[in-house]
Amino acid sequence: MSILDIFLQQLINGLTIGMIYALIALGYTMVYGIAQLINFAHGEVFMVGAYLGLLFYTIFNQTALASWIIAPTFLATMIATALLGYLIERCAYRPLRNAPRLAPLIAAIGISFLLQNAVMLIAGPTDKSFPSILTIQKYTFSHVTVTNLQILITVVSIGLMTGLHFFVKHTKIGKAMRALADDRQAASLMGIDVNFVIAVAFIIGSALAGAGGLMFGAYYNTINFHDGYLAGMKAFTAAVLGGIGNIPGAMIGGVLLGVLEGLAAGYISSQWKNVFAFLILILILLFRPTGLFGARVVKKV
Amino acid sequence: MKTAPIWFFVCALVLSACGSSSDSNSKIKIGCAAPLTGDQAQIGIDMCNGVELALLQANDFAQQAAVSGVAPLQFEISRQDDQHNPAQAVNVAKKFVSDPAVLAVVGHFNSSCTKPSSAVYNSAGLTQITPASTNPELSRQGFSTFFRTAATDEVQGPKGAIFAVKKLGIKKIFVIDDKTTYGKGLADEFEKKARELGAEILGHEGITQGDKDFTPLLTKIKPLEPELIYYGGIYPEGSLLLRQTRALDMKAGFMGGDGIATLTFSELATQAIAEGTYATMVGGDMHQVPAAASFIRDYESKYGTLGQWSAYGYDSANVFVETIRKAATKDRAAVLKTIREIPKFQGITGDIVFDEKGDNQNQFIGIFQFQSGKLHYVGPAD
Amino acid sequence: MKFQKFIPWLVIAAAFLFPFFDKNAYHIDVLVTAGIFILLALGLQVIVGYAGILNLGFAAFFAFGAYTYAIVNIHFHVPFWGGVAVSAIATAVFGMLLAFPALRLSGDYLAIVTLGAGEITRIVLNNLDQVTGGPNGLLGIDHPRLPMVNYDFSVHSQPYYFLILIFILAVIFFLRRLETSRLGRAWRALREDELAASAMGINLAWAKLTAFGIGGFIAGIAGCIFAAKQGTISPDSFDFTVSVMVLAMVVLGGIGSIYGAVLGALVLTILPECLRDFTSYRMLIFGVAMVVMMLFRPSGIWSSVRFRAQPLRANK
Repeated sequence: MSILDIFLQQLINGLTIGMIYALIALGYTMVYGIAQLINFAHGEVFMVGAYLGLLFYTIFNQTALASWIIAPTFLATMIATALLGYLIERCAYRPLRNAPRLAPLIAAIGISFLLQNAVMLIAGPTDKSFPSILTIQKYTFSHVTVTNLQILITVVSIGLMTGLHFFVKHTKIGKAMRALADDRQAASLMGIDVNFVIAVAFIIGSALAGAGGLMFGAYYNTINFHDGYLAGMKAFTAAVLGGIGNIPGAMIGGVLLGVLEGLAAGYISSQWKNVFAFLILILILLFRPTGLFGARVVKKV
Repeated sequence: MKTAPIWFFVCALVLSACGSSSDSNSKIKIGCAAPLTGDQAQIGIDMCNGVELALLQANDFAQQAAVSGVAPLQFEISRQDDQHNPAQAVNVAKKFVSDPAVLAVVGHFNSSCTKPSSAVYNSAGLTQITPASTNPELSRQGFSTFFRTAATDEVQGPKGAIFAVKKLGIKKIFVIDDKTTYGKGLADEFEKKARELGAEILGHEGITQGDKDFTPLLTKIKPLEPELIYYGGIYPEGSLLLRQTRALDMKAGFMGGDGIATLTFSELATQAIAEGTYATMVGGDMHQVPAAASFIRDYESKYGTLGQWSAYGYDSANVFVETIRKAATKDRAAVLKTIREIPKFQGITGDIVFDEKGDNQNQFIGIFQFQSGKLHYVGPAD
Repeated sequence: MKFQKFIPWLVIAAAFLFPFFDKNAYHIDVLVTAGIFILLALGLQVIVGYAGILNLGFAAFFAFGAYTYAIVNIHFHVPFWGGVAVSAIATAVFGMLLAFPALRLSGDYLAIVTLGAGEITRIVLNNLDQVTGGPNGLLGIDHPRLPMVNYDFSVHSQPYYFLILIFILAVIFFLRRLETSRLGRAWRALREDELAASAMGINLAWAKLTAFGIGGFIAGIAGCIFAAKQGTISPDSFDFTVSVMVLAMVVLGGIGSIYGAVLGALVLTILPECLRDFTSYRMLIFGVAMVVMMLFRPSGIWSSVRFRAQPLRANK
């Protein structure tokens, strides 16, 4: 293996995990852009997505769906996490819409304790083994190996992100979302149902996190009830890196973080990996205070 | 603002209500302190289940014995969650210390928790056995109340190295640990001994507990072509490391300490991949001890799969049951005095003989290997 | 009306007398832990409540204070009383250094920088084996000792209770003075509207730096007491959960309110202890309780609405 081969291999490894970060980051960034809320429970929704994915996979595997199992599993998981996201929004955040800005943040932390421990008690505290959702095939190009699972993850992620992009740019609800992100008060005066649009943002964000959770489980083959913490923190970092509130920014931020992390672990030291991730974030923010693609806020009196 | 004092009052009422809940019964309480929530919950629950089983069996025995006229002693477990947080561990320690019914404590799990809490137990003369904390410093603090059944890192790590280098004849080793007290201690001691025996250590890297992606690190290791990867840490990361090693088509052998010596490891790594992995563990082959077979049966019928620290918890609790029965008084000082008078305890993981520092002198390390989904006893490490 | 004036004094007297009525070491020890968190919550209140800067990495401040005392004590045998001063000042400087990115960043971008700083600090503590002892941490830290009567605090609970009570009262006294000072009013202006504040001639950089500095100072005291009480410290005590919990104490107690921070810290430290009997269900119930409390008291148990409703000129 040449140095270039190793570098390419590290790049591919980073890219795959970066795609999953990006999917989770989208949920953070959408909710933040529209409701100015850091949804700390989002990482836990991702984790629940992984568990639900396992559950649906096991159920569907015993039915007639077994031959093309991937699609229904994805669909069921995304619907279930979307529902969870809606419930969280309805019960914990909507009542606090006009409360001080940090109140929903603390409610989010409470929800995240709740989800984490609920999963621990229901599914048990041991790591669960996640079956391979497809037979792994390796494609090798001059020592660089890509698996069909990595390709699937990349394709599904890009597909979902493109879909979202079109949804936000070209549908009526998408337009309402952008209007709300711009100026909530003006938007509500224009007859936009604020509660509805925010709920939609939560639903879409949670569905994406669910898909991310499922792919995460399939990629690493083990899931645990505290997986949401680290992945959530990384995704949040990715969202800020790209400019929080900016959808393409979150995608690029996620991929960039995954790649940089992989390179740091591969070339410098794996025990300092997270330090590098955060140092890069801080450095980027010092030069671009609103992230890579964040709007430059010019304040007017 | 006007309602604030009312809420203050409500909070005060609720909080004060919980301060005064102490039931007094004649049962002897044995404390079990370990992480019961959070990322290490499984390990703590396993350990406390072992303790509970020992106490339940002692109670059954006591009922039978009562017929023949022996004074029956009834035991009860007090499970306390320390969340592997040292501050919480001290709170737990104080809770045990201030409850006169608690005569002995099994715990804590993590060395970082055992360290500050052992000072509290010592000041109150409450005897403690840790079935899991392996840091050598713990028994050097000069606390008379401190005992442990676990072998220290200084024993387990080098024994593993002796087996790997001398018996397996391995020359090139890469060492990985999870940057916890347990994992790092074990890996450091392994590395030291392996070097001494002439093996080449290709490198020593740390990973983050809770992380899932070790491919970048392994991709870096692959060109070094190690014959063995030694991992200091526990099974969730261990099984992933092994899986990703094999996914990269690396043929290196895999070895770890008692942290990976559990069937969950092979379940998570899959049976085919776990095949051939070595693990060191305190004690020899449990299956050859008749008491152990019945322990495993009873445990699995009550709690499900046997956890990896269950047997250690069970043995530690049984040390106390025997001690308290012999002391025959509900008195902490008597427990401490008696535990030192009993020369040898028979446990299912081997005999337990405490030296004056409280360490288990019988530090027999067995080598186990995963073979078709089972932990197969290979033999002594040296 | 006159009676109300005595309430604070009654509370203080009750706090001092409490250990004489309740001799249960566990109860006192929980209160000592609560006391350490009260100090932390007060420190964070300065940053979050007064200056309005969201800080998600306050555990780093706590850790810095604790490790500073541990290191100066172990290597240079500085006793606790000197250690408190060293820790507090060192952590204040550390806080101000951390605040430098704050000068350029605003709002939630700053929050993620503090979060990153918190994680970096924890990983550095875990990886720099030669200085911090790595995951083992540092052990053999001296407990406080009263020099005149040669009394060692050791692992008793009561002396720490009084020690921390005195520190809390001193910090509260200091913060109350600070609230209405020029700096306190500058922070409030900064919190309400950064742009308007700077237009009024407030030095924003200075206001932000001092908020981090003073917050760090208080956290340094807390860290030092914690290290001295435990006698051993390790990175386990300073993870992200600590940052989150302290923030929850501030918000749940009441943003911008001294007594809110005190109350929030008491509730969130004692409540999990009350739930001990639920063993593995404990944190689940705790999470639900947090959400419910927030829903019922969105602006905190002891909300400081008073401060905002009051026109500024009343504070002359």
